[in-house]
Amino acid sequence: MTKTSGSLFRHHPFLIGSVALFLYLFSSALLPAPCLAASLPDALKIGVLAPLSGPYAAGGTSFVQAATLAVEQVNSDGGVFGQPVTIVVGDTQGRVDVAKSEALRLVSREKVSALVGAYLSEETMGVMEVAAAQRIVLVVPVASTAEITDKVRREYTRYRYVFRVGYSIPQWAEMIAEFLSDRKIHRYAFVGAGIRWNLELGETLERIVAPRGITQVYTAYYSPGNPAFDTVAVAAATCSPDIVILADPGRNSVSFLKRLREAAPALPVLSIGGALGDARLAASIPLSAPIYVQAAAWRGVSLAATAYVERYEHRYGAPPVGYSDTLPYDAVTVLVAAWRKAGSAATEAVVPVLEHGTFAGAAGAYRFDAAHQALWGTGPGALHGTFVRWERGGARIVFPSR
Amino acid sequence: MASPLPQVLLDGLFAGGTYALMAAGMALILGVVKVINLSHGAFFTLGAYVAYALAGRGVGTPLAAAPLAAVIGFAFGVFLGKSFVNPVRSHPFALPVGTLACALLFEQAAQMVWGPHPLSVAAGAPWIGPGGLVIRRWGVIAFLSSAALLGGLKWVLSSRPGLPLRLIAEDEEIAGSLGMDVEAIRYLTFGGACAMAAAAGALLSPSGAVTPTMGRAPLLLSLVVVIVAGMDSVAAIFLLSIGLGIFGNACAWFLSPQWSYVALLATVCLLLSARPAGIVALAGRRD
Repeated sequence: MTKTSGSLFRHHPFLIGSVALFLYLFSSALLPAPCLAASLPDALKIGVLAPLSGPYAAGGTSFVQAATLAVEQVNSDGGVFGQPVTIVVGDTQGRVDVAKSEALRLVSREKVSALVGAYLSEETMGVMEVAAAQRIVLVVPVASTAEITDKVRREYTRYRYVFRVGYSIPQWAEMIAEFLSDRKIHRYAFVGAGIRWNLELGETLERIVAPRGITQVYTAYYSPGNPAFDTVAVAAATCSPDIVILADPGRNSVSFLKRLREAAPALPVLSIGGALGDARLAASIPLSAPIYVQAAAWRGVSLAATAYVERYEHRYGAPPVGYSDTLPYDAVTVLVAAWRKAGSAATEAVVPVLEHGTFAGAAGAYRFDAAHQALWGTGPGALHGTFVRWERGGARIVFPSR
Repeated sequence: MASPLPQVLLDGLFAGGTYALMAAGMALILGVVKVINLSHGAFFTLGAYVAYALAGRGVGTPLAAAPLAAVIGFAFGVFLGKSFVNPVRSHPFALPVGTLACALLFEQAAQMVWGPHPLSVAAGAPWIGPGGLVIRRWGVIAFLSSAALLGGLKWVLSSRPGLPLRLIAEDEEIAGSLGMDVEAIRYLTFGGACAMAAAAGALLSPSGAVTPTMGRAPLLLSLVVVIVAGMDSVAAIFLLSIGLGIFGNACAWFLSPQWSYVALLATVCLLLSARPAGIVALAGRRD
């Protein structure tokens, strides 16, 4: 029997619905970014690498939104050299191989002038190799493994195109240690997803806080596939820590915090990695004990930070989480400022400007050390980051005191 | 609390309840419609989003959201069953791929409507039992609902109203020759199973984060439970779910959280290699 296309669709309304839904979803979801770049042939392009699918899609989406906001701000200020700036997005899916191939695509086919990304440390290590081979500037916003800037220090000639605006693991641990000391914490539990930066941060933090008389009494890393939250929450509570440090940038942080609140309602939690910086999530978690969130910047820390938060909220309808959005925003802002100072987007002109200049961002003034690491920490002249505490009416900045 | 072990085991019991809740609908589809429905997890997600949407409008309890989620799940399930599953059913490879595509389409749609960011439904304070034992509300709901659903399913299948389902499960041709509308019973059964998944999603929404891909893990676990238990015994599905929940938590407690999933799946592999047709399947019964 031969079926015509007409009879096929008449007997299968599901097919019609599916095809229509498919065309609608994928035309609106995938077309805007390439179209934007294609419609502006003289635009300077920035390649943005972030996971828009997979377990870290939420952080990746914030990442791209913030980068888009930064570019819109640049263009509203007249662009660069009279040209508009656009971003071309590569979805890394949270995978190293995809991140590398997307980086290569952005450089070789899209002809971007610089890269911003990626999200996970594992992905970024792969993208570093592409940047080094293609001799293109790579600005790293959130990936925090120390190995990124260690490589720049050890093999400067090869990796001198790589700059990190976000904090490295040792810097991050130092900021957390200062916060724990300020809160008079003596015992803490460290719990998080079993991904590279967590494992590295857990070990580094334990080493850094030991001289301060602070002890890590429990450590657990759950696999994103089956987190076994119940047992981890019970075990963490059983060790009687003063605080639980929850290191998870993904959705599992919400589930774990709920379990922990049920098992130990009076146990304070410090969330790092950005997930619990979302006000909508915080509203659904009982505030029977403090919930602290570590962020790169927050509303009220400075005029620049407040202006950024208000722009973000106005543009996307919800405030930023202060980490996976703020740092990419600053990465694009710093990069464009370097282009302007250099008078060119050429790699060889931009690298020395980034090495010696100071650049204003939402989190403060960025300067890079010899390993191309932005200066974060607790000392004078460093970017400090901020710690907030969720309360009924919103978040209150608790550290550093202004 | 003197020892945390009772708490770990109780939490395992509740975790098993969540597996059983999902497995109830999966068993119905596999047993009667005889298809592997890889969109089952998407209906679970749909139910959770219904609960989230209602919570935003002041309907705070997932118990109130479950009936609406079930109705929506049933409507979509019947549409999917009638338009896609029934016509394609005779092609064994097309159906899993098609239902998987449906699940991915739903995830994409959910991401566009609600965004990729995790959302959350308030869980409410747990009850405190003897010795400081924490009794999670959603855990109790999952356990009781799964027991009720699977108990109801067992009753339906063993009583007169369930005769058409049993007959279709045994031999569709005989059922058709007796005047039963096999096609209609199939897509209505499919819709009913989807309603169960959606209700399960609504009931369990406070237990974690609501995201477009949240249905994937329950889909895998429910599929494992139904295949390992075999579709012939509803009681075995319930007991195996509870057993795996407790076993997984015990492994996480005594070994390491990272080992619980590995141990659980290794046990499943061992059970399947020993009893490929399911642990309660009777050898040669189909013959």
